Amino acid sequence: MEDERQDASPLTDPIAGHSLSAPILIASVLLFVSLVWALYDELLGQRPWKGYQRQFVQLYSSYLKKLGPRQAQAEGVVYNSREYRALEQRLTAAEEAVAPRVREIETELTGIRQQLESIRIPFQDARAKVAALTYQLEHASAGRKESIRREIREARKGPFRLELASSVGKSPAQPQALDFNKLEAIFNGLKGREAQLNAEQAEITRESRELRRLRAEYLSDHLAGVSQTQIDALIRKMDTFRYEIKQIHVEEAGLIDRCQSCHLGILEPVALSAADMGGQRAFVSHPNKPLLALHDPVRFGCTPCHNGNGLATASVEDGHGNYKHWLWPLFAKENSEAGCLQCHFHDRVLEYAPTLTRGRDLYELKGCIGCHRYEGFDRESDALSNNYKTIQALEQQQKEARLEADREIKAGDLAESNEAARRHYARAESLRVRASNMDARLAELNQQSRFLMQDQKMTGPNLKDVRLKLRKEWIPVWLKDPQAFRPGTKMPRFRLSEEEIRALSAFVWQSALEGPKPEMQAKGDPAAGKELFETRGCMGCHSLGEGENRIGGEFAGNLSRLGEKANYDYIVRWIHNPRDRTRPYCPHEKRDLGPEDYTRHGLPYKFGLHNSKCPNDGHEVQVQNMTVMPSLRLSWQQARDIAMYLTNLKHDGAAYSQDVSYMDDPKLAARGQMLMSRYGCASCHEVRGLEDAPRIGTELTKESSKPMEQLDFGLLEHRAKRENWYSHKGFYEAKLRDPAFFDQGREKAPEERLRMPNIQLTADDRRALTTFLLGSMDSAFRAQFRTIPEQFRYIPTDQQKDIQEGWWLIKKYNCMGCHNIQIGQKSILSGLPRYQDPDWKEQLPPTLVQQGARVDPEWLTRFLADPSLGNTDSTRNGVRTYLHARMPTFSFSPNEIQKLVRFFLAAAGQSSPYIPSRLEPLDDKERQMARTLFSSQAAPCLKCHLVGDPGHDRFATAPNFLIAKERLKPDWTARWLTDPQSISPGTAMPSGLFRREGERWVFAGPVPAAFKEYSKDHIELLVRYMFQLTPDEQRRLIQTMPKAAPAAATREVAARTAGSR
Amino acid sequence: MDWAQLWSIVSLPDNIPIVALAVLVPFYTWYGLRQAQATDRLITQLESNPSLAQTHHRKIYPFQPGWARELQVWPYLLRVEFLAAIIVTLVLMIWSITLNAPLEEPANPNHTMNPSKAPWYFVGLQEMLVYFDPWFAGVVLPTLIVVGLMVFPYIDTNPLGVGYYTIKQRLIPLLGFGVGFLLWILLIFIGTFVRGPGWMWFWPGQTWDHTRVMYEVNHNLSDLLRITNPWLGAIAGVAAIGLFYTVTGWGIHKLVTRTRFDRKIYGRTNLLQYLTFQFFAITILVGLPAKMLLRLLFNIKYVLITPWFNI
Repeated sequence: MEDERQDASPLTDPIAGHSLSAPILIASVLLFVSLVWALYDELLGQRPWKGYQRQFVQLYSSYLKKLGPRQAQAEGVVYNSREYRALEQRLTAAEEAVAPRVREIETELTGIRQQLESIRIPFQDARAKVAALTYQLEHASAGRKESIRREIREARKGPFRLELASSVGKSPAQPQALDFNKLEAIFNGLKGREAQLNAEQAEITRESRELRRLRAEYLSDHLAGVSQTQIDALIRKMDTFRYEIKQIHVEEAGLIDRCQSCHLGILEPVALSAADMGGQRAFVSHPNKPLLALHDPVRFGCTPCHNGNGLATASVEDGHGNYKHWLWPLFAKENSEAGCLQCHFHDRVLEYAPTLTRGRDLYELKGCIGCHRYEGFDRESDALSNNYKTIQALEQQQKEARLEADREIKAGDLAESNEAARRHYARAESLRVRASNMDARLAELNQQSRFLMQDQKMTGPNLKDVRLKLRKEWIPVWLKDPQAFRPGTKMPRFRLSEEEIRALSAFVWQSALEGPKPEMQAKGDPAAGKELFETRGCMGCHSLGEGENRIGGEFAGNLSRLGEKANYDYIVRWIHNPRDRTRPYCPHEKRDLGPEDYTRHGLPYKFGLHNSKCPNDGHEVQVQNMTVMPSLRLSWQQARDIAMYLTNLKHDGAAYSQDVSYMDDPKLAARGQMLMSRYGCASCHEVRGLEDAPRIGTELTKESSKPMEQLDFGLLEHRAKRENWYSHKGFYEAKLRDPAFFDQGREKAPEERLRMPNIQLTADDRRALTTFLLGSMDSAFRAQFRTIPEQFRYIPTDQQKDIQEGWWLIKKYNCMGCHNIQIGQKSILSGLPRYQDPDWKEQLPPTLVQQGARVDPEWLTRFLADPSLGNTDSTRNGVRTYLHARMPTFSFSPNEIQKLVRFFLAAAGQSSPYIPSRLEPLDDKERQMARTLFSSQAAPCLKCHLVGDPGHDRFATAPNFLIAKERLKPDWTARWLTDPQSISPGTAMPSGLFRREGERWVFAGPVPAAFKEYSKDHIELLVRYMFQLTPDEQRRLIQTMPKAAPAAATREVAARTAGSR
Repeated sequence: MDWAQLWSIVSLPDNIPIVALAVLVPFYTWYGLRQAQATDRLITQLESNPSLAQTHHRKIYPFQPGWARELQVWPYLLRVEFLAAIIVTLVLMIWSITLNAPLEEPANPNHTMNPSKAPWYFVGLQEMLVYFDPWFAGVVLPTLIVVGLMVFPYIDTNPLGVGYYTIKQRLIPLLGFGVGFLLWILLIFIGTFVRGPGWMWFWPGQTWDHTRVMYEVNHNLSDLLRITNPWLGAIAGVAAIGLFYTVTGWGIHKLVTRTRFDRKIYGRTNLLQYLTFQFFAITILVGLPAKMLLRLLFNIKYVLITPWFNI
């Protein structure tokens, strides 16, 4: 071919002889096509939201049209209701009454408006002219002023031709020629009259307007969803829909969110589900309207909570931020509460984020915190170490201040003038005062440290007591698989080899204390123990029964097989008071103190909260078991009964007969100690020799901000990418499902393998923890925290802080096992089968939803410190002695009591400190009246309320009136008397005892004769009586009372009052 | 063979120019050589027919009667340029519609990417860092390359082969430039397709594994010769480099004086011109690939170690 061409030298010119038209034509056409393509891409390809908007308009309009008739039907019902009709009638009547005058006014107004219209143009024209001339005058030179003044006078003279339109009923006025002043007077006169008439009209139609408002209110109150009018408005809105990017722009926060360009239904007033919108999930309305009301999207946007790329509109992936380089991809729907953590990272409980709250609960409950630090969770130990630092700094400052004072005095002694000497002495004095002021702060800090030490708790039991508490053979069985022995236990399964189990068991056994041993106990009565266990409230935390039969709380262990592991004597002591410690631990010497330490200093071997100094070095020692389990103030006999019952619980034929002599081998124990610090056992348990063991896990406070490469996917990275779970979410889920997952395929020595144990978690629990961890990040919002304006930040107020501080404690001690604290929350006890019986319902511990409003905080402080309130029989409850369930003694430190009291006050919106209002003393007549009411057949208060007489109190189900004075707040008591059911649903106290009569409450039953002339509030009278009740007075009352079965009386009252309502 | 891995490299928007280079460079090399061959044929024809050589010629053809004696820039040149402009615009249009600019997340100094690669036009320089000290790879060699390119016209004593493609009249310069250019392309190719996480060597299609562990220890020449005294080591290094320059210079000299034509050109070159040529040819065209091979095949890190610089 080459040769051919060489020979055939072309006849025509090889350059000029060829035409390039064809290639240029083709290239030009292609260029044009690419231009068309570019336009398409620009208008539609890059703007997929246009398609969404078209689809939305179509779907929403047709849905609204369908909704219309349905809504109209619902509205019809409301329109036909008696109340609505009555309102309508009143409205018509009111309108008719003023109709003639309204018509008159309107006619006159029409005339005035026409006249105003005809005068406006000439008047405004004249005024403008005068104003312009005046401006000229003000800026003119002195010489010209006079001539301009003349001009103004001329201009004001006019004459202006005015042709006033006829006012109604008069003949048309003649055209007039007027000067400016007259014109102005007519204009102002007309304006004045118009205002006067408008005011009169507003005045006389006030009633009808008010009725109209009432009617609208009635309609919106009784109509679920939107009204027909609103629907029509929405349909019109869809007809004039503007196809454009819909964005929220908050300039101060630097926020632009265009999410609503596609999610068009999100803020619609009509609740939209995917089914309503033809299955298009993008168009649903926001599922949580109350939450949205608190976080107005117009102010906060969408991405601060949900993450994603608010600016991107080019595709779904872009907008949701689900691409490689966006650091804050949208939270998955099931983890959406992770977003709450972006601002509320210090809040323990969030009402609208149950999953997130559950995640935090689990993080604490399951002991994650033992190995993984998380900011805010180590409340006591963080505060304690801060305290120590402050103390050191203060002591240093104090020392320096004293030295400086000495120097000043010396300088004063050597000063040349009296003046100078005095100055030095004065300075020295103030330095000394400052130094001594620090003493007060130091004393407070030292005390705080003591409290904090008292409040430090451990997740797991104290392993120092193992020899006293456990059967030796049981330990290796437990270590092998705790979940097999006790499903659902907090203790996770460490993937231990047989050899490791032996070594660990040996160390646990050998490191434990040998004594002093708990006292030998006589046998108890298991039947009585069972009854006590089930009624004292143990099951608010503990559960019994296995598998399907399991009932009780998950907060503490399931005791179904306690008999297989535990020593009876120890359990008796534990139940009697779990905080009783075998030996106190001195953190300074880092060892457990024994009787020998005390006798050496001539002291008796006694320690407790008030005797907590180390005899050797004076440091604070740990005098309590670090458990959250409280003392139920049981007698020794009761403790023996319960212990007998519990230690009888075991599987049939359970036997532990293997040879465990290796547990006494010291060599094995040495290896066990090493293993124990490797597996971080001492993070949850107290272990001798490992009290200060460091945490072994990574801190998780900002785990989700870690770059993906720093998460150890092991050899599974490529698989994760392929299967699309190469994300933080995928990592957490896999890790929580199987903590050893990422060791798959890796060749590792046993000591290098992943240590995280297998935790028993349900799918929901994993989701909750994943949500919590996903939220643990430096989000865009959080990173900008320093720069965004204050109004967008969540800055907890004092009350909000008090509430959250309190929640930490309430969760720590599981108060919600027995009490209802959140609205809508049900305590564990109230779910137990026993408490479904109506008679037992009255035995439920009180609800604490409004506790702060109900009780005097000072009383609450005393009560929390000692729930028996110093009763002579301290084993009983202080207030509700009739309850079988027992409010335990938690031995809170004063610190925690303060926090709890503040929590209850803040949660009920009460201010602190509380200053009781003074109650008017009763006069004799009033006392007499109150007595009759108090003991009347219709309201036999003392039938149910305790009086302190054992015979009477057998049937009582309510507190004694005598403590009301110091316990209750009068205004709450009054509210309680009006409607107890709305405060504490299910209470035995009957509602409807009083009815409203004008401005006051009066007794709803047959009113005693003495009340005939009494015009004041009956409830107020009763409250005053109650708060001034004396024991003598109460005795008097009882004597006047007829004897009857109290339960029946209650029901009687309830039935009657229900009828009268 | 991990096709997904290969595809993820090839499809990266950053790498489009290099993927295009992989096609375009061979094509245009072939196309240019083809043109040169045709020109060479014309040259032979004209040399054999002195009368024909007196005439004009067009493209690769000797002049024929009936052809225009002269051609205007418009339209004959501009129409070709116009066509080229349209095609380039078209390519850019399609490119910009279909691929977005490869932007990434906000820079985070605490978290650098791995592998962290320079843009394609610098990735060759980055690859050179593997073989030389930074000052050498990043400063000296690029300077030498640029100066070498600038020096071309001043050491070129060949009056022929200007303004048309030819092999025959410019074999040595063609060879020199070809080697240098392909070497540069090769460096870019290695940097883009072969270097993975940790700048480790992954053959194309081998999975990039961030956790891969390799055992590779580099030695200096003096270590291989078991010389511990730094003075002796430096002397050995200088000797080795001197030897390399001598041998290579001799080889290049043999090459450039191979034919009668080449010897004639050599005769027109003065000593300074010739030494300059030799220096750049040895250092860049042979020295650079030689050091690469030493490093890749024999794990030799430095030949010459001094307190001030290492080679």
